[in-house]
Amino acid sequence: MSMATNGGSEAPPWLRTVLIGRNPKRTAIRIVVLIVVSIIVFRFILLPIKVEGLSMMPAYKANRVNFVNRVAYLFHAPARGDVVAIRTSGISIMFMKRIIALPGETVSFHNGHAMINGNELEEPYVRYACNWELPPRVLGQDEYYFVGDNRAMPAADHTQGIASRAKIVGKVLL
Amino acid sequence: MKAWVWRVAGALAFIVIAGWLWIVFFPNPEHVIRKRLAELSKSVSISGKESPLAVVANASRVADFFTADIEIRIDVPGASAQAINGREELFQIAQRVRMIGGLDVRFLDINLTIAPDKKSAEANLTLRAKVPGDRDQIVQEMKLLLNKLEGTWRIQRVETVKTLSQLGKTEFAKLMNFDGDFNCCGF
Repeated sequence: MSMATNGGSEAPPWLRTVLIGRNPKRTAIRIVVLIVVSIIVFRFILLPIKVEGLSMMPAYKANRVNFVNRVAYLFHAPARGDVVAIRTSGISIMFMKRIIALPGETVSFHNGHAMINGNELEEPYVRYACNWELPPRVLGQDEYYFVGDNRAMPAADHTQGIASRAKIVGKVLL
Repeated sequence: MKAWVWRVAGALAFIVIAGWLWIVFFPNPEHVIRKRLAELSKSVSISGKESPLAVVANASRVADFFTADIEIRIDVPGASAQAINGREELFQIAQRVRMIGGLDVRFLDINLTIAPDKKSAEANLTLRAKVPGDRDQIVQEMKLLLNKLEGTWRIQRVETVKTLSQLGKTEFAKLMNFDGDFNCCGF
């Protein structure tokens, strides 16, 4: 009678192979590497967020998961039209807004249209018309103007305004 | 067992006990304040419908976290600016709020700056309040000024912070006739 053997040891059961692989030591190293890489990626590079509120409708609906790219502005400055996350006292809860004005520019709202240095800004992402009237504001050298896409609510109820570059956590990925 | 092992074990036990006693008798102000703010958020939160007696007792417990001359300035989008002056007014408001029947309050991302004399401190934090069953939540960045009075840290001033300001640094400096560097978001 002949039998096929594998170095004298029994082949591992299929469940054990699925769970911990053929080489448990190598699997353990893989798990540790995966955990470390995940912590680095999801803490310092792509921050997972859950969208809440209506201020970025219709582009960003409530209860959707998204990511903030924290390294997006390592090599270039934030640009007009970028949707960014803005820190509060930390990053547990952040504001998600769109940049409409850049450092040194003058921003105002007239007849519901954003005006940059007196010229109307084209905003294809704004779907709900409004009649906002806001006086001109001059931005400092490291300041940006942030506003949500959903302008259906009165300007006074909509969180918008100026913040410095340091308050920007990163660019919203999706 | 050799005598030196006992000596080392005794020395280690002494260090651990001394360290523990040091923490108990000379606690780090930052830890004390963070613990106090955690207790405040628990006291402000309402788990369910409360009896009239419990409302008074819990409102009184909340008021005890503040100094007698507490000043609270609230300025949020969509509402006119509000002010609460004094612990008595705060106590009355706390009683009315507790009638809601349910509220979950959390203080997140607490940044503390303690004065060199360790008698006062400033806390910058984000408040998150949620009424059970309500989809929306209140999120507000806040600044708290705390003072250590008779060995207890109490809140003397609370003000809302506008994360997104309506005035830039330059405009604010012109308005205030000020020419220095400052944090634009603290007003």
